Amino acid sequence: MNRRPFIALILAAPLLTHGAAADEAQATLRSTIDEVLGIANGASSRSALASSARSVLQRRVSFETMTRRAVGVGWKQFSSAQQAKATDLFTTLVIRTYSNKFTPGQTATIDYKAATNPASGRVDVPTTLVYKGSRYSVIYRMEQIGGWRIADVVIEGVSLVANYRSQLDASFKQGGAEAVIRSLEQSVSRPS
Amino acid sequence: MKLHHFLPLVALGLVSCATPKNTPPASASQPGAAAKAPASGGTDALDDYGDTVVVSDPLEGLNRATFAFNDKFYKWVMTPISKTYTTIFPKPVRKSIDNAYENVKFPVRFVNSGLQGKFGRAGKEAQKFGVNTVAGVGGLFKVSDKIDSLKDVPAEDTGQTLATWGMGHGPYIVVPVMGPTTLREAVGSGGDYVLNPINWGFVFTGDADDWAWIPPTGNTIRAMPGQLDLYKEATANAIDPYTAVRSTYIQNRNAAAEQ
Repeated sequence: MNRRPFIALILAAPLLTHGAAADEAQATLRSTIDEVLGIANGASSRSALASSARSVLQRRVSFETMTRRAVGVGWKQFSSAQQAKATDLFTTLVIRTYSNKFTPGQTATIDYKAATNPASGRVDVPTTLVYKGSRYSVIYRMEQIGGWRIADVVIEGVSLVANYRSQLDASFKQGGAEAVIRSLEQSVSRPS
Repeated sequence: MKLHHFLPLVALGLVSCATPKNTPPASASQPGAAAKAPASGGTDALDDYGDTVVVSDPLEGLNRATFAFNDKFYKWVMTPISKTYTTIFPKPVRKSIDNAYENVKFPVRFVNSGLQGKFGRAGKEAQKFGVNTVAGVGGLFKVSDKIDSLKDVPAEDTGQTLATWGMGHGPYIVVPVMGPTTLREAVGSGGDYVLNPINWGFVFTGDADDWAWIPPTGNTIRAMPGQLDLYKEATANAIDPYTAVRSTYIQNRNAAAEQ
């Protein structure tokens, strides 16, 4: 029996799963983005977009993971009530950050590039966002968290999670979990 | 110091060192491309890309004071100028003015691609310049955006060249009016200034004729709306705007240097 095809198949198996994970994650991302863009195209204002997109985003974005990483090492010292509170505030802040970039009446186009699989359970999807005549690099970091979910967004090299971590880290050092929650509350209550 | 000698400096800061640039990724798909810093102790095994981006900030007290000054300056001086500009010129006209200035900056991208040994990229920059200058009527239309091989060429500059050559950022500095930079990026901005033809009136004639200040001043004004938008975006939902801008700036420059 010629064993070569069999060996080839075994060797190719990791590649196949790699490709499958990347495809799966990318498909999830596409449907999420299509859904959000659908809402955005019908939205009359930024705040309307923020409230109507929230349920879709909560399903597809792991805000809990984002918040945990944005807080960093201090997260373990949060009580579960504090964790829930921080996650809720951070969710509002992130959704507002993104809906603020949106102008009613302008449509966005997204070019998807080949996804990479930096680690098991993780897929990065690089894209180019074309909006109002400019091109922006946006990388979506997807993770297997009960299905593929967005765990970070990197715009022009700037990671959302890393950006907030640099700020929340200082709050935590100043006054622990309470200080983090207070500073999140302050940011959320500031008019955007 | 004459005002018209100062304006190009402002232009230089605004355009080349103040804020993120549109440098779409070609190879930015590596994990953690944005945030490379020593692990400060993660909360889980997948935590490596959430690390704080580190830059040395020994002048933080002074920097924060300058940052506060700049914030007011942007609000009370630059925003009205920018609003006047956007009121006079409709969006398509502004887009073409932006395109033309970016097209003229070709030597900055071409020379720095070459200095980094990226000759393929230098070639593409030359093609882009040719296409946009000829088919795009002197650079007014960015025809290269319609060409797959040319639409996403990462824009190189002198700061990135110095990074490629192994130079670290050095201290973080907030410059009055111009905003965030680091020692390396400030040196880089000097290189970009000399390589940008809009400044050649000054560079080659020393104390220039009066016409020499027109292109750089135009550049300063046309770049304002975009730069102010970026500043607003970086600070709008921030916990601490100073830290947010520093993190945004450093991550953006690091990612650009890695491309």
